[in-house]
Amino acid sequence: MEMFLMVLTLSVVGVLVSGILFRAATRETSEAPAAAFSPLIAADEERFFMIRPAAPADASRAGAGALVLQIEQHVRLERAAAEAFLQWPTVEALHMRTLAPLPR
Amino acid sequence: MTPDQPDLVRGLTAEDQAAVLALGAPVSLTAGQVLFALGAEADSLFLIRRGRIGLSLPMQVAGREEDIVIEEHGAGETLGWSALVPPHRFTLKATAPLETDVLAIRRTDLLHYCAANPRVGQVVALNIAAIVARRLQVFQAMWLRQTQRVVSQLHA
Repeated sequence: MEMFLMVLTLSVVGVLVSGILFRAATRETSEAPAAAFSPLIAADEERFFMIRPAAPADASRAGAGALVLQIEQHVRLERAAAEAFLQWPTVEALHMRTLAPLPR
Repeated sequence: MTPDQPDLVRGLTAEDQAAVLALGAPVSLTAGQVLFALGAEADSLFLIRRGRIGLSLPMQVAGREEDIVIEEHGAGETLGWSALVPPHRFTLKATAPLETDVLAIRRTDLLHYCAANPRVGQVVALNIAAIVARRLQVFQAMWLRQTQRVVSQLHA
């Protein structure tokens, strides 16, 4: 009988604790639905081991630099193709494909 | 074409080559130094003795003006022939990407020498014509390839 009462008490306490935790958990999510996870943090927020977004000016400068390199590589390959055509002028040589990085 | 046989004096005797090259003044450029700017007055043409020269044109890239290198030339090659063609303004910007030595030959000196030595002048003129023609032919082919690309995209 004592054993039965002890198990019953522990079960009731367990159910109560689970209920309280469940209620707390569901209330937290319903009150803050917009707080979605993002690996990026605000620029002024200081934390370790987080991906920090680069400043917009640096990003655009780096993007422009990469694009300049692509354009110059494109020109270099197109020039090589043009010179190959002049070396041996045929219709096929004029329109030969290259690995130029810009879309064709 | 080699630094010992520059394109400007190809076909001349060693003596005549030396005489034409003696018209020039050596100019040394550090890495990144501009030899001439787009639109600047062109009164000299340049023969590269050592190093490289990049020729660039400005282009709007991501809202910024960027110099795009469209040609690179090395030792033995001549550039700056705008000095011989009216209106004597450079149509490209020339920059040395590394330490480079060039020979600057003034238009007036070259023309006077060629007028006094017509046989040399004829060879030099034909060499310059070949340099100009090469530029025209290469860019003509590049232009046609680009036009073909646009046409293909329109009808894709």
